[in-house]
Amino acid sequence: MSKYILRRLFSGILTILMVFVLDFIIIKAAPGDPVRTIMGKETDDPELRAALMEKYGLDKPFHVQFVSQLKNMLRGDFGNSIIYNRSVADMIKERLPATLLLGLVDCILALIIGTALGIFCARRDGSFIDNFLSSIAYTLDAMPSFWLGLMLIIVFSSRLNLLPAQGMENVREGYEGFRHTLDVMEHMVLPVMTMVLITMPGYFRIAKSSIQQVTSEDFITTLRSTGMSEKMIFSKYIFKNAILPTVTMFGITLAFLVTGVTLVEIVFSWPGTGRLTLTAINQRDYPTLMGVYMVMSISVAVVMVLVDIAYAFLDPRIRYDK
Amino acid sequence: MKAVLSKCLRAFKADGQLRFGVIGVIVLLLVIILAPILAPHDPYSYEFVRLLPPGSEDHFLGTNHMGQDVYSMLIFGVGTSLKVALISALISGALGVLIGGLGGFLGGWVDQVVSEIINIFLMIPTFFLILLIISLFGNSIANVMIVIGITTWPGNAKLMRAQALSLRERTFVRSAVALGETKTQILFKYILPNGIFPVVANTTRSMAGAILTEASLSFLGLGDPNIISWGQMIYQGKSYITSAWWISAFSGIAVILTVIVFYMLGDGLNHVLNPKYNYGRSK
Repeated sequence: MSKYILRRLFSGILTILMVFVLDFIIIKAAPGDPVRTIMGKETDDPELRAALMEKYGLDKPFHVQFVSQLKNMLRGDFGNSIIYNRSVADMIKERLPATLLLGLVDCILALIIGTALGIFCARRDGSFIDNFLSSIAYTLDAMPSFWLGLMLIIVFSSRLNLLPAQGMENVREGYEGFRHTLDVMEHMVLPVMTMVLITMPGYFRIAKSSIQQVTSEDFITTLRSTGMSEKMIFSKYIFKNAILPTVTMFGITLAFLVTGVTLVEIVFSWPGTGRLTLTAINQRDYPTLMGVYMVMSISVAVVMVLVDIAYAFLDPRIRYDK
Repeated sequence: MKAVLSKCLRAFKADGQLRFGVIGVIVLLLVIILAPILAPHDPYSYEFVRLLPPGSEDHFLGTNHMGQDVYSMLIFGVGTSLKVALISALISGALGVLIGGLGGFLGGWVDQVVSEIINIFLMIPTFFLILLIISLFGNSIANVMIVIGITTWPGNAKLMRAQALSLRERTFVRSAVALGETKTQILFKYILPNGIFPVVANTTRSMAGAILTEASLSFLGLGDPNIISWGQMIYQGKSYITSAWWISAFSGIAVILTVIVFYMLGDGLNHVLNPKYNYGRSK
C-alpha cells in the first residue's frame, strides 16, 4: 500500500517536472525575442537591452536559468504578466473561485444526471427511450462546447430574453446579500447547462455499460434464482459493483475541472481563468499564458495523484496489483 | 488477407455504425472532389450586401459579415477539416505505434521509461499545451496539424505497447528470434503489422478529436486566418450571434456531423478489429 502511494507520488512529481521542462523548452525554442517585445519597436538601445537581459536573467547560461526558474516555481512564483506587470499567481488566485464555482456545480450535476439516466436506460435496454437518449448522448459527444453555448445564448437569451448571457453578476444593479446570490445563480444557468450537457454523456455511457455488464454476470443470475426481489438485487449487488468506473470518471473530471471549463467561460464572459487565458492570448502576454498552463498542469497532477490514492483505499484490487 | 476482407464485408453488412461511418466518409470525400460544382459561389468572393439571412435569393444559408456565401464556405470547409484530421492522426498514430511498439517489444528499462512518459503525457492537459505552442509558434494550419499530432500520441502508444507485450511472447515471434532475425526486422515485420489494428480504430476516433481541437483553437482566435475552416466560421459568427445566428449555427452543425461520421467509423472499426465481435459466424 505505502509502496503504491510512494510510486504515485513519484510519478506525480515527475509529471510536474516534465511540464516544467516542456514549458522551458517551448519558451526557449519559440521564435521572437522577448527583450525586443519589452523594449518596444522604437528603441534599439544596446545598453537598455543589456540591462533588461540582466534583469530577467537572460544573460546567464541555459542551465542556470533553468535552475533559477525551477526554484521560483517551487516557491509558487510563476512570473509576472508583461501587460499588467502583476504576479501571475495573484491573477490566477483572483479568478480561480469563479472557475471552481462553475466547474464544481457542473461536475456534481453531470455526475448525478448522467448516472441516473444511464441506470434508467440500462434497465430498459433497446427500448425507444433508451435509443433516443443514447443518440442524444452520441450527438452531444460530438458537439463543441462553445458552439452549444452560443446556441443556448441565441435561444434563451437573444430570442426568448429569459436569461443573462454574459458575466457573473448584474454590474449595473449592484445587488447585495440574498438578491446577489440569486443574481449569480441566474447568470450561472446557461454556462452550467452547457457544461452539464457536454460532460453528461460520459457518465451516461459508463453507468449504462457497467450496469449492463454486472447484470449479465453469473452471480446475479444465481441471486435471482434464490428469489430475491429485483429491487434488492439492484440496490445491494448490481449498483455497488457497477459504480466504480463512474467514481474513476468523476476523479478524472475533477482533475481536469479547471481546464475543462475554459472554452465555456469564454463564451459566457465568465470572469474566471478561461477569460484570463483568452486575454493573455489576444495580448500576446506569454508569461501569463505559461503561468496559467503551469498552474493548471500542476493542479491536474496533484488531484490525479490524490484521486489515485483515494482509490487504493476504496478498491482492494488496485493495492494488490503493484 | 482474404479472411480479413470477408470479415470486413460481413461486418459492413451487420454493423450499422461501420456502414454509416464508411458511407459518411465517402460522401465527405465526394464533397471535397465536387466542391467547385456543389458550391454556387466562390467562398472567397466578398459582396457588398452583408449578413443576408438564410433563404435569401441565391444565398441558401445566408451570407456572413463580409458578404461571403455561408453554404459555399461550408462546402470548402470539408477539405480543411479532413486534412487536419488525417495529417494529425497520421502523425499521432505513427509516433504512438513506434514508441509504444518499441517499449512493449524491447521491455526492460526501455519499457519502463516509455510507460512512465506515456503516463506523464496522459496527465498533462493536452489542449492547453497545444494552445500554448500554437500561440507562441504561430497559427498556420501546418503548425496546428503537427502540434495536434505530436501531443496526442500517448493514447496510441499505450494501446500499441500492450499489443507488443503480448505479441512478443507468441510462437511466430519467438521462432523469428530463434532464426536469428534482427530486432529491427522483428519489430517492423511481425510486431507492428500484427499489433496495429486497435491503434487504427483509436486513430479514427482521434481524427474526430482533431477536428474538434482545430475548431476550439479557431474559436480562441488561434486558427489560420488564410483558410476557410468551420471553427473559424463559428468564431467569426460569435460577434454577430444576436443579429446573424446562421454563420455560427450552420458551421457548428457541419462540425458535429463530420465528427459523428468519424466516431461511427472508429466504433465500427473497433467492432471489426476486436476479436470479441465475430460477425456472421457463431450465434
